[in-house]
Amino acid sequence: MNIRGNDVLRQKLASEYVLGTLKGGARRRFEGWLHNDADLRNITAEWRQRLEPMAEFATSVAPPKRVWQQIEQRLHLKPQGGWALWRDALSFWRGLGMASSAIAALLVIVVATRVLDAPQISYVASLTDEKAQTALLLTADSRHGALEVRMVGNAPVPADRDLELWAVPKSGNPRSLGLLADKGSVKLALSQRAIGSDVALLAVTLEPKGGSPNPDGPTGPILYKGNWVRL
Amino acid sequence: MSLAAQPPDPQQLKTWLLAAANKDATAFRQLYNCTSSKLFGFALRILHKQELAEEALQEGFVAIWNNAAAYQSHLAAPMTWMATIVRNKAFDVLRRSDDTVEIDADQFDSEVMNALRDPQATPIESLQLSGDAKALAFCMSALEGLHRQVVALAFYHDLSHSEVAQQMALPIGTVKTWIRRSLERLRTCLAKREAS
Repeated sequence: MNIRGNDVLRQKLASEYVLGTLKGGARRRFEGWLHNDADLRNITAEWRQRLEPMAEFATSVAPPKRVWQQIEQRLHLKPQGGWALWRDALSFWRGLGMASSAIAALLVIVVATRVLDAPQISYVASLTDEKAQTALLLTADSRHGALEVRMVGNAPVPADRDLELWAVPKSGNPRSLGLLADKGSVKLALSQRAIGSDVALLAVTLEPKGGSPNPDGPTGPILYKGNWVRL
Repeated sequence: MSLAAQPPDPQQLKTWLLAAANKDATAFRQLYNCTSSKLFGFALRILHKQELAEEALQEGFVAIWNNAAAYQSHLAAPMTWMATIVRNKAFDVLRRSDDTVEIDADQFDSEVMNALRDPQATPIESLQLSGDAKALAFCMSALEGLHRQVVALAFYHDLSHSEVAQQMALPIGTVKTWIRRSLERLRTCLAKREAS
């Protein structure tokens, strides 16, 4: 059957496809036509816009809490269950330790020798994304008590989100070191929170504007991670 | 949720959906908080049984997370897109379960039904509906009662013409004609509302 050019039939089939009354072989045939008929796809999309809002005619009923908990579990979304995630990140960094230390050390030599009036850089870190591309360079200047975070390139952040830097200790909750800009560099205060000997990992997460609402740790995904190299 | 609650702002839902596409779990949580009651009510309406509706809602949100990147805002409002996913999951759950779902002819909740029957007595504006759903409600209220019921029965229970005919004890030819005419009327009515 050829339905091209037969607008009445095309409208009828598309509407009944969306409503659900088009069944069996007729439904499969229609889906076949959809594949190589952009106009039919448009007609069908229009019918979806018309009929599918019928779903909203049902009155709201709050679902029990367990539904969200199950979703969270299936999708591994839970930030604290996220401890597993942090631990994964830790072992990843232990494995990569040697190589990244060498890279970071090289970076610091470059940084330190280029600046004559050099601050006393005692620690450096390069944080990388999931593809192991360096995204941020951290330098800890113990003379001025300053922690400089420099973005390498820029990573666009949605307008309603902020990047937050964390020091993750070997045990206990991650410690927030402050919010970052999505380009350029930011100077933060340097303290033992950042360079304490118990720090096992540095990480940057995507958080709601103003930072994680949870005082005990991040709520968003880890975008970049790395660790200090002591000089 | 109180009756006075506002429908979620589509722009806000869109922002959260886009963030969920980038695997932002916080935004996804907010999306869930804002839409799960509406979608659970919808799944319950289809499936009637609490545990089946919970399963459909869970499956639906897992699919929403996994497919958020495929959402195209020019094709559907966020609520409509999500409701369609939940609807399909509800029908999947129904096919998998051995339960047969009782189908009641009184399709919508009485609140919505009253508004559709007589928009003067129960204003459609008072329902927590998005703009699209409000327009559809107005146009459906202009259909004859039985025609409206036939359309709703097919949509909410994924029925064929013959199954609708059986449910309503009507000849299949009548059902086909009513559905065809009702859909044409809805299209004309919605186009008029859009133009005005």
